[in-house]
Formats: sequence, C-alpha cells, structure tokens
Amino acid sequence: MTAAAIPARMLRPVPWTRLAWVTWRQHRAALAGAAALLGTIGAYLAYTGREIHRAYDAYAGCVPASMRAQQRGGMLMGGAQACHLANRAFFSFYGSGQGSVVASGLNAQTVPFLLLAVPVLLGAFVGGPVLARELESGTFRFAWTQGAGRVRLAAARLVPLAVVLTAAAYALSALFSWYIGPFVQAGVTGRYPMQLFGTMGTDFAAWTLFSFALTAFAGVLLRRTVPAMAASIAVLTTADVVTIMALRQHYAAPVVVTGAGPAGNSDLVLANWYTTTSGVPVSQDTVLRAFARLPFGVTPSPAMLAAHHWLQWWSYQPASRWWQFQLTEGGWLLAASLLLITGTILLIRRRPA
Amino acid sequence: MDVIEAAGLGKRYGRGKWGLRDCTLSVPAGCVTGLVGPNGSGKTTLLSLAVGMIRPTAGTVRVAGETAGSLAARDLTAFVAQDAPLYQNLPVRDMLRVARNLNTRWDSDRAVARLDGLGIALKQRVGALSGGQKAQLALTIALARRPELLVLDEPLAALDPLARADFMKSVREAVAADQISAVFSTHVVAELEQVAGYLIVLGHGEVLLSGTTAGLTAAHGGQTPEQVILSALRQDAENAQHAQGRAQEATR
Repeated sequence: MTAAAIPARMLRPVPWTRLAWVTWRQHRAALAGAAALLGTIGAYLAYTGREIHRAYDAYAGCVPASMRAQQRGGMLMGGAQACHLANRAFFSFYGSGQGSVVASGLNAQTVPFLLLAVPVLLGAFVGGPVLARELESGTFRFAWTQGAGRVRLAAARLVPLAVVLTAAAYALSALFSWYIGPFVQAGVTGRYPMQLFGTMGTDFAAWTLFSFALTAFAGVLLRRTVPAMAASIAVLTTADVVTIMALRQHYAAPVVVTGAGPAGNSDLVLANWYTTTSGVPVSQDTVLRAFARLPFGVTPSPAMLAAHHWLQWWSYQPASRWWQFQLTEGGWLLAASLLLITGTILLIRRRPA
Repeated sequence: MDVIEAAGLGKRYGRGKWGLRDCTLSVPAGCVTGLVGPNGSGKTTLLSLAVGMIRPTAGTVRVAGETAGSLAARDLTAFVAQDAPLYQNLPVRDMLRVARNLNTRWDSDRAVARLDGLGIALKQRVGALSGGQKAQLALTIALARRPELLVLDEPLAALDPLARADFMKSVREAVAADQISAVFSTHVVAELEQVAGYLIVLGHGEVLLSGTTAGLTAAHGGQTPEQVILSALRQDAENAQHAQGRAQEATR
C-alpha cells in the first residue's frame, strides 16, 4: 500500500474572472474614454432623434401617405399652410443637401458620414495598447511569467474587450437607426448608400470588432502602440474603401430587368444601359441625342424607347436584400476578426519577446 | 536535488545566432546560486528558458522536475526580470491586486507586512518609487506567490551599493525562511561570496566553473571567488580568440 500523496499545490489554471478583473483594471481608462465618446454621440442622437421623430409625426399626420411616397425630397405641392410648416420642419433636420459635409453642419444627412470614422478610431484606440503596451514598456516580462501564463492572459484581455466594444458599437448603431428611421420611412434615402449601410444593422459593430482585432494584432507584430494604430488605421481605411467601392455590390448576383427599372431610392442601382429589341447594344449618346428635346431631368419612358425599337436595362440589388448584405459583410468581418484574435494569441505564444 | 536541470540546452535567435548553445548544468536546490558571466554569455537566455519565457531550440530544461513553461513549472517559479518591470501607472495596492489575480496562490498578508517593513506605502504609485524600492516591490510580489524557485535576472545592475546589500539580504532571508531556492544572474563578480552560496560561471553558453563558494575557494588554494572567476573568464576569452584565429586560418 502506498501512502496517499498529499497534493502540495492545486494545479489548476487561474480563473477567468480574476483575469477579467486585471483586464478591467488595466483598461478602465481606455473604456471610460470610449464610453465618453459613445455617450456624447449617443446623447446627441437621442436628443435630436426625439425632435426628428416628433417632426416626422406632425409631417406624416398632415401629408397623406400617397403624397409622401412621391415627394421624396422636401417639396410639397398644394395642401394646408400647417402642412407646409410641418414639412419644412421635418426636412430641415436633413439639412439643405447642398455643400460639403463640413460646411452644412451637423444634420441627419451629415451625421452618418462622421459616424463612419467611429469604428476605425474606437477599435484602434482600444485595441492598440492591449498587448503592445506590455511589449514596448517591458512589463511583458512581468505579465507573461505569472502563474496565469501568457496565452490565457492574452485571451482574457482580447475576448472581453472585443465583446464589450462590439456590444457598445451595436448599441450606438441601433440608436442611430432609430434616429435616421423617419427619413428612410419618408423615402428620403435608401439604406444602401455607404454612410447608412456602414452605420446601421450589424455593419457598424462588425467594423468596430475588426478594427479592434486588427490593431491588437498589429500591436503584437510591430511591438509598439502608436505605429500599430497608425498602420491599422491605414489598412482599415483601405479595406473600408475597397469594400465600399468594389466588394459590397457583389455579395449577390444583381437582378437584371428591362423597362421602367427600380422605383424609389431604396434599391441599389449598379448600372443601366440600352439595347435594340433584338439585343444589340446602343450607346447612351445615341439615345440621348434622339431625345435631346426632353426637358432636363426627364428620362425617356419605355414607351418612348419602344418607338425606336430600343430597350432600357437595369441591374440592381433590391432593397429586400439589405439584411442579407449586412449579414454577409458582418460574417466575413467576424471571421476575419476571429482569425486575427487567434493569430494574436498564437504570436504571443510563439514569440513572447 | 537540483532545482534547475538543463541538458544540451540551446537557443538560436533568428538566422544562425545562438544565444545559448549545448548548455548542460544543474542548479542545486536550497541555496542562493549566482550565475556569473560576461555580457552575451547567455545568462538572460538561460534564465528566460528556465522561466518559460522562451522555448529551447535544442535540449531540455526542467524546473523542480517540471518542464519549464508548463502550468506546474509556472506555478513553482517566480521571476523578477531585469530592471524589475512593473506597471508604473498603478498604485502599489493595485499592483499587488493585479499580481494576486494573475496567480493561483497569493500570500497577501506577507506582501503587505513586507512592504510595511520596507516603508513602502500602498497608496504610492509604482512609478514614484526609487529604484531600490521598486526592486523590493518586485521581490515582494515574487515571494507572495510562494514559489519554490526564485529567478532574478541582473537584480543588482540598477541598484546603488546600499540597495544591493539590502536586496540580497532580503533574498537570502527569504530563501532561508521558506526553504526555497534562488538563482540570480550578474556580471559583477565583486563581493559574490557574501551573496551566493553556489556559483556557476558561464562563458559563451558553456559552464566554465561551478561549485559552492567555499568549495571553489578551497580548490583554488585560497583564492577569493572573484579571483577564481576572473581567471576562468580570462582563460575562456583566450580560448575563444584562439578558436577564432583557427577559423580564420581555415577559411584562408
């Protein structure tokens, strides 16, 4: 019989909750900064959004739905004087629609453009120091050699911060969606333009997560906080522009139709072109020359084109696909973020110093 | 019993540059061991391997019988890196809390009592401490983990003579009180006999000399450890020069 071995030490990893406390203690300043930024924007959106909703209710209560559908831009023909006031009050929140974003001030039209910068900055400023600060200040030699171990420590930092940041970004974009809702309902704008696609649905949160993961990864790769943030912001901006310009419209094969084309502005029109009824392409110039006498802004109707044996074609992404597009983009951003976070942890494991 | 056992241990950095090569050594348990050698002799590499900071390119290293870097070994080993890196922006109290939450075992009373004895206030910021106080705080944190092995990388380099004496006195006392082992690296060979009970002299990643401080003195006709170490290092430097000369002739 052997004597029962008395375990001198309990060999179990340090609990996650304790590591989470360390993460909180070391990042509470950065999180407070993020909360201040999001809180300020949120307060503005909540306050202005309430006024927009009030103005929209007055406007919608006055102008009949059929008229609202046609109107799409602020000009109201006929109707009572009170309606004109309600109309003007509502659309004034959308700005004049002229001039640059900066010159026309803060309004429902310019706010989403400014919001587009938030995911990039938020992710970069919180994600940059997460591990790079340890590497550049030398404290990794303390942190990596504690009982918890560096892999667990890195995971206990990256995962909770990523979750908190993504949730906060999602909350802000939900608030923005409510804020801009009346203008979408009024048909002033669709949800496909980049400044709305990127600030509504899941896109805003997904880009925030991606930005955080990319900057944390760059921080471990470059081992310095500020260069990592700069590099990450450059890469993110490029990725964002490429996605908007070249990628997003191809998430599904476009619908191709002939005739009047998509009505309203909630669809994403990719192209329109002309052919003869037998399918031979006709240049836009030829068509425009044939209808040179049409008043400015009026496009030839299918009936008028038929007189020349021409057809107009459209390729577009219907509004009904908007959520599918959101989830496609959110999906690949989530996958890329998870890869980056895993890669960051593997880098820490392989190359601690 | 040995607290560190290295066999054929090697670490290569990048392309071809070895920080430590084919190193076989044992560090005895229960005493303070000084790891002596010139800059670039592989002391930091050896200690980094022992605490699991880096992984060996060749060979093995075990700490108290456990593979270095494993969960068990991490739990047994407390490491104070060179210049005692700690979070400068935290108050001492929060620095202790961070360390507590990063470890399975933590002797809070002992840490607080030690700091009290040293006159280090818990509300003080780590960044505001003197070099000696910071080293003592790092040591306090390491000891509060109740390790079996205390590893100190160049703990004396940044300290003034008085702080050095106090620091090593603390280490000796802790080793005696807890019956643990300590290894520290240094390139300063003066006064080593007052600090270390056992000496390992490293040159070019190889053990040139090892033994108890008293034993080395006896074996070398009453020379001080300092003299013994210096002659060993001088011999090693000459050998290296000859080797280099031969290599150059061979390539010619």
